[in-house]
Amino acid sequence: MSENQVRAAAELFEKTPRDLRRQRVNRWMRRLVAAVTGLAVLPLIGVTVLIVAKGVGSLSLSFLLNGPLGSPPGILNAIQGSLLMTLVATLMSAPIGIAGGVYLNEYASSRVSAIGEYFIDVMLGVPSILAGLFAYLAVVPILGFSGWAATIALSVLMVPVVMRTTQEVMRLVPAGLREASLALGVPMWKTTIFIVCRTAFSGLLTGVVLAISRGLGETAPLLLTSLGSNDQSLNLGAPMNAMTVVIYNYAGSSDPKLVAQAWTTALVLFAIALVLNVGVRFKTVNSRVA
Amino acid sequence: MAESVRLARRRGPSGDAAFRAVIAAAFLVAVVLLVAVIGTIWQWSTPLWPAENPLTFFTSSGWSGSVADDGTVTAAFGAWPMIWGTLVTSIIGIAVAAPIGILAAVYLVEFAPRRLSAPLTFLVEITAAIPSVVIGLWALGDLSPRLRDSIEWWIASSIGQIIPWLSENPQQPSDTSVFRAGIVLAIMITPMVVAVGREVIRSVPQSLREGFVGMGATEWETIWKVVLPTARIGLIGAVLLAFGRAIGETIAVRLVIGMNISSVPPTLFQSGASVAAQIAGGVGEASPIEKGALAGLGLALFAMTFILSLFVRVFIRRAVGAPARAS
Repeated sequence: MSENQVRAAAELFEKTPRDLRRQRVNRWMRRLVAAVTGLAVLPLIGVTVLIVAKGVGSLSLSFLLNGPLGSPPGILNAIQGSLLMTLVATLMSAPIGIAGGVYLNEYASSRVSAIGEYFIDVMLGVPSILAGLFAYLAVVPILGFSGWAATIALSVLMVPVVMRTTQEVMRLVPAGLREASLALGVPMWKTTIFIVCRTAFSGLLTGVVLAISRGLGETAPLLLTSLGSNDQSLNLGAPMNAMTVVIYNYAGSSDPKLVAQAWTTALVLFAIALVLNVGVRFKTVNSRVA
Repeated sequence: MAESVRLARRRGPSGDAAFRAVIAAAFLVAVVLLVAVIGTIWQWSTPLWPAENPLTFFTSSGWSGSVADDGTVTAAFGAWPMIWGTLVTSIIGIAVAAPIGILAAVYLVEFAPRRLSAPLTFLVEITAAIPSVVIGLWALGDLSPRLRDSIEWWIASSIGQIIPWLSENPQQPSDTSVFRAGIVLAIMITPMVVAVGREVIRSVPQSLREGFVGMGATEWETIWKVVLPTARIGLIGAVLLAFGRAIGETIAVRLVIGMNISSVPPTLFQSGASVAAQIAGGVGEASPIEKGALAGLGLALFAMTFILSLFVRVFIRRAVGAPARAS
C-alpha cells in the first residue's frame, strides 16, 4: 500500500469534529437519562423508607391484636374489616370475572369478544370513587352504611381486573392443547375447564391476587359505604373499619399519637401489598403460562 | 381461535349449552354491574336538572342548594372549580410524570446494566402497588411542606413574579395547593408510566436498533430516531392510561388540595378542589338535591374517563396490542 492510500484509510477512521460532538451528546444523554431515572425512583425509595422508619416505632403485637379502644390502642378491627370485606368481595367478583373472561375468550364470537374487551377497558377505567358513589346511592339507602355496601363497591372494581387477566392468560394457552382434547372427543366445556383453565391456573390466580391487592388498597369507596367504626364485630350489616380508612382518618389528626398509628397501619398495609405482589411475581416466573 | 376448534364446537354435546349459558350469564352480570353504576348515578342526578341547567352546572361556581317545604328547588351548584382542579392537577401530574417516566423506561431497557435493571424494575412495580392513601399520608405530613418550601417557593420567587397564576404570598404560603396535588399525582403515576413504557420499549425489535447502530449511530441517536418513534403510539397509550388514573385519584388529592370548592383559585399555589375529592367529601349528610349535584359530578368524572378510554381505543389499541392493565 502506498503512503497516500494509508493516509486516506486513516482519514476514514479519524473522528471529525462532528463525530466528537455526537459522541459528546451521547455521553451527556446517558448521564441525563440515568439522572432522570434516579429522580423517578427517589420518591419511591423515599416513601418506602419513610413508611418503615415512621411506622416501625409503634409497631407491636398489641397494636395488631387490640381494638382502637383497647390499651394500648390497636387496629385489629381495621385488619379484620379490611380482610373480611376484601374476602367477600373476592368471593363475589372472582367467579364472575373468571367466568366472564372465559366466555369472552373461548365462546364469544370475535365481534362480541372485541366489544367485550372494550367493555373491560371502560370498567377498568371507572374511578374507584364512582364505584363508591354507586354503592352509596344504590345500596346504602337499602342496607345502610355497612360492610355489604362496601363489598359491592369493591366488587365493581375487582371484576374487571380478574376478567382482563383471565382473558390475557387464556390467550396464551396454545390452540393445540384445545384441539388435541377435542380430537379425543372431550366436549368443549370439559376441555375448557380441565385443559384450558388448568393450564392457565396460575394465571387465573394472579388475576385474583391482583384484584385482592386492589381491594385492600382502596379507600375512597369505603369512606362512602362502610364509613369506619370502632366496633370489633364481624357483622357486614354494620359500619366496618378498614386499614385504609384508619390511615385516612388519622393522617390529618393533630394528635401525634394518632398520626403515628396511621404510619404503622400504613406499614402493615404496605407489608401485605408487598407479600401479595412478590407472591404473584414468583408464581408468574415459575409457571409457563402467564 | 383456531378454525378447527370452532368447527368442533359447532357439534358439541348438550353439556356445552349449559356451560356456555352459565359463563355467558357471568359476563352479563359484569355488564349489568357497569350499567347499574352509570344508571344509578344518572338516576340520582335527575332531580338536579330541572333546577339547574347542565351547561351552567358544569361551567359555574358555587355549591349550595335546598328544597323548600312547598317543594320548590333552589340550586346554585357549579362544578367548574372541581373540573378545573381535576384537569389542572392531572395535567401537572402528567406533564411531570410523562417525560420522567419515559426516560426512566428508556434507561431500564437500553442503558441499565442487568444487575441494576432487575431490582429497579422490581422497585417500580412494587411501588406502583402502594395504596394511594399511603402516598396521601406521606404527602400530607412530610412532602407537602417540603414542596412548599422548595419547588413552589423557587417558582413563585422567580417566574412567579412575572406570571400572576404562578405567584404566591411570601408571608403566608398556603397550607394546601393545586400545584402540590399535581406533584403528588405525578409521583403516583410515574411507576405506571415506567412499567407500561418499559414493556412498550422492550417490544421494539432488536434488529431495528442493530441496523441503526450498524450504520454508525450512537446509542442516543438510536433511541431518539428509532426506538422512541417506533414505540411512539404505545408510549402515548401508557401516558393516557396514567392520565386516566390521575383524573380518578381521590384520596391523595383530597389530603393536599385543600378543598376550596367555591371558586377557581387565582394561582396554582392556593387551595383548589377536584371532582373525585369533592364526591368523597360531600356525601356525609347530603340532602337529596346535594346528592343530585354529587351525582352530576360523578357523571362529569365518568365522562372524562370514558372519553379517554374511547380515545385510547380508537387511536391507540388499533395500532398496538393491549396496553398493560391498570391496577
